[in-house]
Amino acid sequence: MSTLTALIIVLAILMTIVGGETGIRSFFSVLINTMLLILVAILISWGISIPILILIFIPLKLVTIIFLGTHDYTVAKNSFYAAFLVCLIVSVLILGCQWLAQAAGMGPEAGEVLVGLSQMPGLSYPMIAVAVAIFSSLGAIAEAAVAMSSGLLEIKKHNPNISRMNLIASGNRIGSDVLGTAMNTILFGMFGSFLSLFLWYFRLNYSMGEVLNEKLFVNEALIIMYSLIGVLLTVPLSTIFLSRGMNKNGVKDGSK
Amino acid sequence: MKAKNKKRYIIALIVAVIGLVLTACTYFATNIYSRDDVAVITDNVIKDRLIEKDKDVYNNVDQTREQTLHLKVLSGKYKGRTFTTKNVYYPSQMVSQKYRARQRIFVNIKKGDPAIVNPKRDWVLVLALTVTIALMIAIVGRHSFALIISMALSWLIFYLVIVLDVHMNGAHIILLFSLADIIFSFFGLLIDQGFNKKMLATWLATLLGVFISFGLCYLVMQLTGESEMKYETGDYATQDPRGIFLAQTLLGILGAVMDESTDIISSLYELVQTRKDITVNQLIKSGRTMGQEIMGPLINVLVLIFISGALPMTIIYLRDNNSLGSAFGFTLSLGATQSVISAIGIVLTVIFATGCSLLFLKNKKWKWGKKE
Repeated sequence: MSTLTALIIVLAILMTIVGGETGIRSFFSVLINTMLLILVAILISWGISIPILILIFIPLKLVTIIFLGTHDYTVAKNSFYAAFLVCLIVSVLILGCQWLAQAAGMGPEAGEVLVGLSQMPGLSYPMIAVAVAIFSSLGAIAEAAVAMSSGLLEIKKHNPNISRMNLIASGNRIGSDVLGTAMNTILFGMFGSFLSLFLWYFRLNYSMGEVLNEKLFVNEALIIMYSLIGVLLTVPLSTIFLSRGMNKNGVKDGSK
Repeated sequence: MKAKNKKRYIIALIVAVIGLVLTACTYFATNIYSRDDVAVITDNVIKDRLIEKDKDVYNNVDQTREQTLHLKVLSGKYKGRTFTTKNVYYPSQMVSQKYRARQRIFVNIKKGDPAIVNPKRDWVLVLALTVTIALMIAIVGRHSFALIISMALSWLIFYLVIVLDVHMNGAHIILLFSLADIIFSFFGLLIDQGFNKKMLATWLATLLGVFISFGLCYLVMQLTGESEMKYETGDYATQDPRGIFLAQTLLGILGAVMDESTDIISSLYELVQTRKDITVNQLIKSGRTMGQEIMGPLINVLVLIFISGALPMTIIYLRDNNSLGSAFGFTLSLGATQSVISAIGIVLTVIFATGCSLLFLKNKKWKWGKKE
């Protein structure tokens, strides 16, 4: 048995024991999510328009993460709307920043790795870089949206007559925790993903100025910031969506 | 409350203005770089000529194009001089770069012959950082200072660990990054929560989560003989790639485990504070419910980070008619393994975080016993 298979089996068992039914659902959400990402790679390699793929796969991936990961329908629906809107805003930001930074494509070692591979694939690597940035930050946005919505709904449950102003104030307080929860995950995830690159810079005596202008470093640092901005935008947007949805529900309850 | 918010927005605005000034300074900076010189492309419209249309063995259609660029050097001993140079690029821009009119770039001039190195990108980083920090202050308020300091400290420690690793030439890399994890989590939690019992419990849960899950996965790797672990496919390997992979795993897992422990333990601590009669069983049940909610999304965050990073490479492998299996083996298998190990860490942390929060309960009961 390969190590990866063995580890996946261990993970499945642990998630079932610790998580119960939610755990099993989360396991499948992760699995489907990974497969969707590989599917994106396949479709892009076939030459299908990348912006269209991005627009189709953002909601697909959000649905997998949010609806399979949470069991409260109101939380899931609210998080989905907020996360989708944030993803669209962040996509625009990413398009702008990537256009300014021109940090697409393979890094300085490319020549060595790419021996035997096509260097002129006829695909737009600037667009691929945008796709990578969007999908990297999408997970953090979805997580933040779920945490925000479930936290706010909890407050609403204990305090049904809470005013909109108070709800927004509570939202900001929860937002600070949510950001704290996301920040280290994103930062160390990126450290863990790019450690070898940093070692490479250091061993090849790159100067500070060179590193700060180097394609892959800029790309990575930008992805960390897109994710943080995404998480930050989720805080007010989740609150707004929830308080709107609440008002509608309030009317419904009143008419009953 | 309103006045407080207003103050917050004013500070955010000030930070934004300072950030924009710094962005402009970085954009126009020319003399702070040691190796290459800064130049500006003086053309308003760049002459861009098609050299040939290409079709490679994989039937990929691309072009070879050539830009004629007029440069004015802004720093170094050639300052003020102008050059004309050519830049060949492919529109897919995978390994080549297309330049834009009026853009600032780095050049390396040897014997009066300029070679273009890179576009100037650092000011975009400053700009993005400005947006992030201003937004953070506007939305989160005062707490953002702790977050920013914690993040800056993480970068600093990360830098020091790399210096140390290169100094030790990659020896004892697992030990080094284990120690790094201990230090990272201590300072991260200290800044976030201050030095108290809650912070120590969170720290303990984090360390248990990281090291026990890493140990477990290491055991599984040994038992399966690390079969199909293609360490040689790791990018930018300047030292033993297996060591680098293990160190990357130790780092990648830490953030998620730390955040998760903080989340679970803080909430359970609140619970113990507000409901003094809570039983051990109730506490375990609450911890488990919280863990179930949090683990799926957290795992997804890491999976997306680890797998997305490998997408450009996967796409080129698939484009060149490799099978999905071989493309996966070459570009995704290490990232996928790293994701699974981190996921195991995240799941196990639910147990450790809940377990560590029982410490407050016992201590509390014990204290009450004394008082009575």
